Amino acid sequence: MESLGIIVAFYLLSAIAVGGAIGVFLASDLIRALAFLVLSFVATAGLFLTLSGDFIAIAQILIYAGAIPVLIVFAVMLAPLAGRNNGNGLYLVPGLALGAAVAVTVAFVAVDVEWNELSGALLAERDFATTANAIGNALVGRYVLAFEIASVLLLAALIGAIVLVREDEAT
Amino acid sequence: MSELNFEYGLLLPEFILVGAAAAVLMLDAFREDLRISRNLLPAITVLGALIAGVASLLFLDRDPTDFAQLIAVDDYTTFFRILFIATLIAIVLGSYEFVNRNITHQGEFYALLLASTIGAIYMAAARELLTAYISIELLSFSLYVGVSLAKTDTRSGEAGLKYVLLGGVASAMLLYGLSIIYGTTGATTYDGIAAALEDGVVGTPAFLLGLAFLVGGLGFKASAVPFHMWTPDAYEGAPLPITAYISATSKAATFALMLALFGIALDAAKADWQWMLASLAVATMVVGNLIAIQQSNIKRLLAYSSIGQVGFMLMAITTVSDASGSALLLHLAGYLITNLAVFIAVIAFYNRTGSEEIEDFRGLAETQPYLALVITTALFSLSGMPLLAGFVTKFVLFQAAAEEGFLWLATVAVIMSTVSLYYYLKVIRQMYVAEPADGDSRWRLSPIAYLTTGVLFLGIFLVGLWATPIFEAADGASAMLFG
Repeated sequence: MESLGIIVAFYLLSAIAVGGAIGVFLASDLIRALAFLVLSFVATAGLFLTLSGDFIAIAQILIYAGAIPVLIVFAVMLAPLAGRNNGNGLYLVPGLALGAAVAVTVAFVAVDVEWNELSGALLAERDFATTANAIGNALVGRYVLAFEIASVLLLAALIGAIVLVREDEAT
Repeated sequence: MSELNFEYGLLLPEFILVGAAAAVLMLDAFREDLRISRNLLPAITVLGALIAGVASLLFLDRDPTDFAQLIAVDDYTTFFRILFIATLIAIVLGSYEFVNRNITHQGEFYALLLASTIGAIYMAAARELLTAYISIELLSFSLYVGVSLAKTDTRSGEAGLKYVLLGGVASAMLLYGLSIIYGTTGATTYDGIAAALEDGVVGTPAFLLGLAFLVGGLGFKASAVPFHMWTPDAYEGAPLPITAYISATSKAATFALMLALFGIALDAAKADWQWMLASLAVATMVVGNLIAIQQSNIKRLLAYSSIGQVGFMLMAITTVSDASGSALLLHLAGYLITNLAVFIAVIAFYNRTGSEEIEDFRGLAETQPYLALVITTALFSLSGMPLLAGFVTKFVLFQAAAEEGFLWLATVAVIMSTVSLYYYLKVIRQMYVAEPADGDSRWRLSPIAYLTTGVLFLGIFLVGLWATPIFEAADGASAMLFG
């Protein structure tokens, strides 16, 4: 991270992402919580962009900020008996304590460690305009087996979803 | 990077399993048009599994090789291919009557079992983090659905929901851990991670954090205490064959993956994770066995007893070495045979009585002495009685742990094995001492139930009295990791 612009963008987007996540937690209405969730996802996509992950950023917007909230809205609207209440339950205090502990640990590690960074000349050496190419090649090249296992996984998930949702006629 | 090997023939057994799954699904969808009997579906499943089993034998004793460095195809993989395929066959044969009566969506049931077997095999074969992770998900997803398949039983839906939510959290933990490990080592292949560890990543805070998340995620999948909360509910709510499948294949696959991951990739970082796994092992052994004492439902009892067993297996991962590796494989084989014998006998019992309560086993020795004998033998074997499979495999396992300097851990394991005898005897007492309920007369088992329980019954004695062949196979397989 060299230029000031990137640094400002990074912290701004991080603040939006974390703020959105807190909003999900605080909003009392499920649909409002969902709106905060989308905000958080979009900011995360921006974070990917600052890391030169252009393909992942677009995929994040299409899938997490686009498709999944629509599904959740459908689920909430179609379930007439379910409440829209996003209230917090019994485990609020222990949950917060655990979350805080994890957050502090991760933050400590993130600050403490000297991460391997590609910057300056080293980064320029890699010279890529877009990551989509490399991801595509890895997916159906080197990692083709993982790709194929994923297809069986999706088939299983698809079958499962249909079987569980279908209403059985009386036999 | 050297040239990658993309020989698709190495994946032959899994292609056959996928083909069988597709065939079962399609035939089930057009069953009424084609006028085929329901029994054709389990028949095709078993046939496909048999062919896949024969196909895996083709790879026996060949030079170890790999597919694009993602999975290894060697004797270790072959060992688990045979083990998981045999488990699949036993469960399908042992439960098809149950399925005919209690499961509406049979084609999907068999297809999901086949798919999850593929996931289990690749968990054992994986030599790369992404492949390992996606295989875990394949197994888990099939089981999430499997657990909820008894749609008329409200417990089943509840169990499925709990399992999928907690499983999602665990997967997130696991992924986070894997990504941190990738971040610190710069490699996703097991060999690459091992090489990076030589250069001093060991003991850094980031690596430790990654390890902690990794152990937590895998601990959930293996149902180690304190990540075991889903186990009793999922076991109780799931249809019996799925419960049997979770307790057998899903456990064994997780341990096959852990053995390869900790044995190959993370061996150099032993000092960082040994204490984590040792404390998990102790907690798991103690909590699992002590809570099992209070259970009155046979599925919950077996759930806690299997948690206790997980503690013993974690001990083998803690002390990871060539000796404890082969001991773990032997123990897994013995445990699978024994556990399947219990479950298939319980399924046969449920088919007759429709009950899962331990007190309904009263007088089983009068009404169905053969089934009582099978259950008794298997439970004794689980607790580690001499002459039976459990004794030999536990003996080798505890000895390997003690030799690696974990005598205290082996001592806890022996004490907890004795505790386990208490709650197994509670079931046995119901069958032999209590009088049968009024009006219960003798009843017969179906021929297939006789066949499957009979084979497993003999297997328990075979491993107990003449373990040499399996021990040699386990030894050869484990040598692939540590050789």
